[in-house]
Amino acid sequence: MTQVDQFESVFRAASKPVFHPAAVELERVLVVTDLPPSEAEAFGQRIEAFLRHATSVESATFTTIAGVEARSTGQLLQLVEDSAPSLVCAYRNLFSDGWKWPHSLGEALDLLTQTTEAPVLVLPNPKEGSEAEHALQNVNQVMAVTDHLAGDDRLVNWAVAMTQDQGTLTLSHVEDETVFERYVDIIGKIPSIDTDSARESIKARLLKEPRDYIESVREVLAKGGAPVSVQAEIRLGNHLSDYRAMVHDHEVDLLVLNTRDDEQLAMHGLAYPIAVELRNIPLLML
Amino acid sequence: MGAPLLLALSEGHHEVSTSVTLLFTGLLVALIVSLALEEKIHAKKSLIVGVYAIVALFLGIVFEVVPGSVPVHIGGETLTLPIYIPSIDWGVIAIILGSSLFVDVTSKSGLFTWIAIKLTKASAGDPRKLLWFYGLMTVVFSAVLNNVTAMIIVGSLTGVSLRKLGRAELMLGFLLVEGLLTNIGGLLTLISSVPNIIVGTAAGISFVSFFIAAAPFVTAATALTIWMGAKLFKIPSLQTDEERTQALEQVESFDENDGIESAGFFKFATAMLVAFILVIATTSVLPVIKELGMGYVALTFAAIMLIRYKSSVDTYYRAVDWDLLGFFAALFVVIGVMEHAQVLAMIGSGLEVIIGWGDVAGTGAILIASAVASSVTDNIPLAAMLAKILSSLGTASDSPLWWSVVFGANLGGNLTPIGSASTLVAVTIMHKNDLKVSFAGFVKKAVPYAAVQLVIAVAYVLLFL
Repeated sequence: MTQVDQFESVFRAASKPVFHPAAVELERVLVVTDLPPSEAEAFGQRIEAFLRHATSVESATFTTIAGVEARSTGQLLQLVEDSAPSLVCAYRNLFSDGWKWPHSLGEALDLLTQTTEAPVLVLPNPKEGSEAEHALQNVNQVMAVTDHLAGDDRLVNWAVAMTQDQGTLTLSHVEDETVFERYVDIIGKIPSIDTDSARESIKARLLKEPRDYIESVREVLAKGGAPVSVQAEIRLGNHLSDYRAMVHDHEVDLLVLNTRDDEQLAMHGLAYPIAVELRNIPLLML
Repeated sequence: MGAPLLLALSEGHHEVSTSVTLLFTGLLVALIVSLALEEKIHAKKSLIVGVYAIVALFLGIVFEVVPGSVPVHIGGETLTLPIYIPSIDWGVIAIILGSSLFVDVTSKSGLFTWIAIKLTKASAGDPRKLLWFYGLMTVVFSAVLNNVTAMIIVGSLTGVSLRKLGRAELMLGFLLVEGLLTNIGGLLTLISSVPNIIVGTAAGISFVSFFIAAAPFVTAATALTIWMGAKLFKIPSLQTDEERTQALEQVESFDENDGIESAGFFKFATAMLVAFILVIATTSVLPVIKELGMGYVALTFAAIMLIRYKSSVDTYYRAVDWDLLGFFAALFVVIGVMEHAQVLAMIGSGLEVIIGWGDVAGTGAILIASAVASSVTDNIPLAAMLAKILSSLGTASDSPLWWSVVFGANLGGNLTPIGSASTLVAVTIMHKNDLKVSFAGFVKKAVPYAAVQLVIAVAYVLLFL
């Protein structure tokens, strides 16, 4: 019944995930800081000015929490929950001097990203002074990051919502080359499978799916008149180094990525290393 | 197309004792039983029949039923060939080999999947419409390609599309109806199924005459089968706008162009398919071509298509169903020996008695008997044997008896899951989709359809052919 499998494969391949647009409305934005009230206010205004570039934030109300308002992590989480924000903005190593050692997001951010309903915008720590020159100016260059883009409508809808008019949205998809080579290595030890053919076919198919999906995003957005230009970055490579290179090459203003994984309490596997390493631009963690 | 040996040898029959005839009859019965038990004994058809061919030839020489070699006259030359070489009807082998290669390469163009997805989209995801579209597509593909390929294409699409539409519970009904329709579509043209090729060529029926005679029945039987399927399996139509919108969105996400690697080759394959059908249909009237026959046409079209893959033709050679070809070759050898052992003459005298019942009862009985026999064993040996017997009885080419064999041999496949290769494929796809259908379960579900088809087939043959 090899032929049945062959035709099923053809038909399954022809069945493609199509992008379904959905509006993202931000009503309340909460900026969380550990700064004294006067500095917190200034920081809040800076973040508001930055985010106002995004069309979805135009009518949102902004509230800023200063350091004195939360004495413990529990108090902070309670404050956030009580505010019921649509978006939480905070910087890495909040309520900690961990920013001096760039190996973590800090306890407060770890918990915020996993426990709050709302997405968290992780900003560079103002004390660290590591912001990229173009960071926090506007959202002209937004990039969505995932290792499984096809069908991830929520990620794309948020990325579109956070891109300013006439801005560029880069949809990226990096397949892990190490994992790929590991499988090809195993295939190379199975006599019934043609290794070269398998390598080319699997690679082509892995990269085709996100490409098709991005094409669908492009078509749907153009049809809906969204004033955003969409570009694709699809490759086989190393997640971290490739994303770092892409962020640098495109001078990305905002990176959008998934952080939650229903099957685990910890952050999504790809999100944590990216969030820890890419410290100089804002990251929107869904 | 000729059957060289059958003509050559029929001139040289000699007396065979009844005991020898009975011995070979026993061998033929054993062959038929072995083919019916193919799945149980886990052996391929070609090997089963091949073993019987070897035994039959050996016994044929021992009992002096057949000569070891025969002279064959080609032009002014006389060649002496081992008996098993001219026994084979190479014209039939050429048609099957050429057609399967042609269809295999053409399918790589994405043409058939393009048609299948276009029809899926045209249904807007409505299950009732989808059943009609898939049913019609099964019939057309069975007629143009072959039953098995048609079932594989439509059956695999059915699995994928019904799951996508969230209608997996309807899959059994769809696959059963499609399986039954392959054998109806297989009746449409002279080259749609092997029994048609064997009986049609033995009777001297042209491609066009065959089509004109079979098309009305195929149309009526198709419509009736799909209608019954929709009723008995309760295949619904979409009722609300919300259902329609959702279903439309699901089928719209199919991309019919995904399987097309080259637009140029796609267009070329489409043109070649149309040309293939036209040339096959007119082979009997085309100068030069008519001398070479349909096998030549099929092989020529296969060769033209293979030029596209000139550096990897071996891939397509490997994909040829050598089991089927080996089966045919061996079968022709067995039947040749059986003819010389007077086994066919003996069966023919029994058949003469049935034919003697009159135009109505005789013709109807042959059709029903062919169907029953085809339902439990392969319809190809049955068709080959009956075609040989009808030829030896001097049956006129416009006799309805030929059609009784054609209709019975094709429709008998709808009575059981082992009645035809395509219904077997349908059952395999059912199992692949976790639908547990036993032999008895299949028969219980299929019999109402098969009974209706056979009743209208008998009426059609008696009234119109």
